[in-house]
Amino acid sequence: MARRSEAYVDTSALIALADRSDTFHPLFRRLFSNPPALVTTPLVVAEGHGWFLRRFDRYKALQFLARLESMTPLAILDIGRKDVSSAMIFQRRFSDQDLTLADAMGLHVMESRRNQVCWSTDRDMRLTGVPLIIDRA
Amino acid sequence: MIRTQVSLTEEEYEAAKQEAARLGISLAELLRRSLRSLLPADPSKPWMLLAGMVESGDPCASQTIDDVVYGQKE
Repeated sequence: MARRSEAYVDTSALIALADRSDTFHPLFRRLFSNPPALVTTPLVVAEGHGWFLRRFDRYKALQFLARLESMTPLAILDIGRKDVSSAMIFQRRFSDQDLTLADAMGLHVMESRRNQVCWSTDRDMRLTGVPLIIDRA
Repeated sequence: MIRTQVSLTEEEYEAAKQEAARLGISLAELLRRSLRSLLPADPSKPWMLLAGMVESGDPCASQTIDDVVYGQKE
């Protein structure tokens, strides 16, 4: 059987999974219950943690990290200076957009790993042409 | 069923008893329900405990992350 292709996971996918108020919650609950190989970056983890800290409290934020730790299909990639430089190229290319560094890093990762789909609800993640899973579902 | 003993503080015991009475269930059933909400339904997918962990009340929560994390522009 062919291996399902790897998907890039953006912060919005994790929040849609965690927040049962979110419109996309049922979709991401279904997707994460039977995921292919997933990748993300420490910047996404930091954003998600920050969202829980701001929206809820440190305990929920810690729970979020613990749940991610147990998410074995999700690889959290090491990023270094070269990756930051590559992400900055995207920042400059799309300087007319309010791209966060986490978004730009995601665009760089998807390009370098040739990811065919992005698990996100954030339209900015479509900038390089990689389709969002919400458009496919 | 496996019988086990747990130690609770007086406050925890009283609060749990009150909640059980409010729900019309036994203390044991309340503790079983609490445990079920903490443990993953499928032990092979523990990350699914993240699913529905919170309820912000915002249907667009996943699309307004930047506003929450980085703040809105003045």
